[in-house]
Amino acid sequence: MAGLLLSSTEKVFIIHGVQDDYRSDGRSNIDYRPMELETDVVSHASGSSRLRLANTDILVGVKTEIDVPKPDKPGLGKLEFFVDCSANATPEFEGRGGEQLANSISNMLERAYHSPHAFNLKQLCILEGKQCWKLYIDILILECGGNLCDAVSLGVKAALFNTRIPFVKAVLMDGGNVDLQLSDDPYDCKYLDVASGPLLVTLCKIGDKCVVDPSAEEESCSVVSLVVGITGNPKFYVTAEEAKNMPDVELKCSMIGMNGPGSVAPKTFKDAINQGMVAAKCLDKALGQALLRERQENTSFKKHSYGFLK
Amino acid sequence: MAEVYKLIHPVKHFNDYISLNIRPDGRVFNEHRNIKLNVNSIKTAEASAVVKCGNTTVICGIQLELATPKAEQPDIGFLVTNVELPPLCSSKSKPGPPSDHAQVTSKIVSDILINSKCIDLKDLCIVPDKLAWVLYCDMVCIDNDGSLVDACIMTLITSLKTLSLPSVTYDAETEDIKVDPSVRKKLNVSGTPVATSFAVYKHNQSNIILADPTAYEEEMCGGSGASLIVCYNNGLLCGTHKFGGSNLSADCQDVTLKTAKEKSAIVENVINVCKQDYESNK
Amino acid sequence: MPLDYRRFNGPEDSVSYKIYTKDYIKPYEERYNELLDENGLRKDGRALNEARSMFARTDMVSQAKGSSYVEFKKTKVVCSVFDPREIPHQNEFSQLGQIFCEVKFAPFSCPRKRRPHAPDNEERALSVALRQALEPTVCRHLFPNYQIDVFIYILEHDGSCLAAAINAAGLALADAAVPMYDIITSCSLAVIGDKVFVDPTEAEEHVAKTSLEDSNINHGIVTMSFLSELKQISDFTQVGSMDVECITKAMEVLEVECEKLVPNFQRIMVMNVIHNFEQRKRLDDEAKEREEALNKKMEEWKQLMSAG
Repeated sequence: MAGLLLSSTEKVFIIHGVQDDYRSDGRSNIDYRPMELETDVVSHASGSSRLRLANTDILVGVKTEIDVPKPDKPGLGKLEFFVDCSANATPEFEGRGGEQLANSISNMLERAYHSPHAFNLKQLCILEGKQCWKLYIDILILECGGNLCDAVSLGVKAALFNTRIPFVKAVLMDGGNVDLQLSDDPYDCKYLDVASGPLLVTLCKIGDKCVVDPSAEEESCSVVSLVVGITGNPKFYVTAEEAKNMPDVELKCSMIGMNGPGSVAPKTFKDAINQGMVAAKCLDKALGQALLRERQENTSFKKHSYGFLK
Repeated sequence: MAEVYKLIHPVKHFNDYISLNIRPDGRVFNEHRNIKLNVNSIKTAEASAVVKCGNTTVICGIQLELATPKAEQPDIGFLVTNVELPPLCSSKSKPGPPSDHAQVTSKIVSDILINSKCIDLKDLCIVPDKLAWVLYCDMVCIDNDGSLVDACIMTLITSLKTLSLPSVTYDAETEDIKVDPSVRKKLNVSGTPVATSFAVYKHNQSNIILADPTAYEEEMCGGSGASLIVCYNNGLLCGTHKFGGSNLSADCQDVTLKTAKEKSAIVENVINVCKQDYESNK
Repeated sequence: MPLDYRRFNGPEDSVSYKIYTKDYIKPYEERYNELLDENGLRKDGRALNEARSMFARTDMVSQAKGSSYVEFKKTKVVCSVFDPREIPHQNEFSQLGQIFCEVKFAPFSCPRKRRPHAPDNEERALSVALRQALEPTVCRHLFPNYQIDVFIYILEHDGSCLAAAINAAGLALADAAVPMYDIITSCSLAVIGDKVFVDPTEAEEHVAKTSLEDSNINHGIVTMSFLSELKQISDFTQVGSMDVECITKAMEVLEVECEKLVPNFQRIMVMNVIHNFEQRKRLDDEAKEREEALNKKMEEWKQLMSAG
């Protein structure tokens, strides 16, 4: 945010706007800026997505590998997040500058995906105690225009939704060794169940209220932000008819963290979590619709690509 | 006043004390600091000991692992000793990989342990060529106020003496391993190696020997550690290490050997009392 | 992993013997049932809402500017704080001072595995959380362009280590006479279903972190650090999965627990001041005595001189 200078009057204007739930660009406190999402952009990855939110540009690729499960969790697969802040994204990332931010984002994702309510690692199991899938989720930040956590979590969920895992045809046991036979047909694969995958919502504290998806001007009025990870609703990820038969699920927090050098009062904190819930629900619904449409286009006809990597 | 004087004229300040035959902390030249030893305070480690020599505090914890022995030496186990100097122990150590000082200290400690031959590595082998114990002995310095090696050796030996190995059954056919931690066998430690550090200070053309130096004294003698370390095992000399400082005259050398021998007897006594106390309480 | 040439390394294939013991892989239910006895008390005899007793002292490390040692029964943490120093490798002037935190586990601190020497993800995350908690507490505008180093070493990990680390850091900063806005205290709790374990042990945390896949119960760990006089939350970390109601409840419980610690901290700090004051007085008295003796000598000599 180099070179962004706001006078104190401008700051007061923004703070008062937030207090009245009407922000300087016309949004309410829980509105996001428009985003562009595209899946299946990298042909070599098992699943991929690209997300653009205002100036933030993110590419997520999922790679699958066969691994041995941990001895204390024999029936579970593994997830590994890796965030790479490209030096082009913002001048601050040059050298080792982006490393700390990258670490904290990957740590937040890890925590958010830790609970089985958020992502069920059992679906990655091949043979209990012997073999499982390990998903490497590589996140590349191409351009940084603020609100990275939210954008990254959306991109990750989309990429996981798009991930296909090959079917295992046969398992041969040869003494202690396992011999797997995978299907040769690249289309013979299954999708992962990521409907309950968490979305991270960053709530930026301005005055006594919080806003989601702050602009650069708004960010400079705030000293502390709250990151809340909220699990998804599987209803949004199936067609309308199927959704009718599904039970209602309660949304849960799978991660909470704080960013920035400030502190908050308990009351503001509680309000912020509730606000994050509402925002996450809207976001999840929109993401579900977009992903379903995308999948349909992918399967029904050769889709017209908008991306830069094709 | 004294603090300011120390800051402005560090060498003169130190010399003033030495010429009055006393050290800045009130000890005489061959006097040691008080030793406090406590065993089994860390429950997550198989064996542990905490020692405090004056301000210097070192904690040793031993963890056990199993591995296949080396192909060249199929009948011996592994003893891995490391000394950690985390950044909190003094303003000189910085975060990141171990400093030169930490590496040197690790090496000295491991040399002393190997030279004293108090652990027979063959005892650590369970099934030759198949399975052996790995003893990870990590010594962590919490407060580095000089004579680090003395404290490290003391905690290490005390922890080793209180260590017992769980029984292991190895099925040669199925290569199945079973460990029963309720049945344990004590590790055999022969002797009690004790290290004694000295700082050698050159004062008016003569050598002054300071036993059990503090960090400040070590620095005044021009090194980042003690300048002389003498080890005794059961009243027998088992090694001396000399690092910089001024040169030693023959009679000074005799004094150090005598002091080290006396100290090793005291430390041995302390360790044995602690060990017996621990065993009777168990 | 590349070999660390600066340390002695064991064989690469070595594994902890504990994975060959009988009770290494216990099913979730068994682990859960072990946490409470028939009277609803925890393994160490505490009630669910009872925190462990704390032992804390300052002035632990002689070489540091300020230091502390905090013990929650088996959880043992040492902290030291050093003098502010100029921020290294920085070109721009920074208006606010910075706090550098490093949390390190001792290699033998964890019951399940040996800790690697190189910093791992968990340690990095703890360092970030600690900095987050301390930043709003310290008056950073008083030392622009300088940084304060806060080092935490966890000797033994038996749950709530972040809370213990924050408490230790708060005490050490106070001991180092770093100006702060308020006393910072911290506490954590674990949630398993409808049960809330205040100040959880490692075993309780382990169960709370994992949960059965098909059940929909709340589970997780919440750590909060609180500035009690200002009524501000300086850090809040949660893992697991809980509904909003559960989090709100956890916040209330933690707020009370954090406030309970404050009088203890005040007492430690006051005792510290008294102790230092007495020591200073003793030194002054000794100096005075010496001066008096010297003056007497001078008088004697003067008399001798005048007589001679």
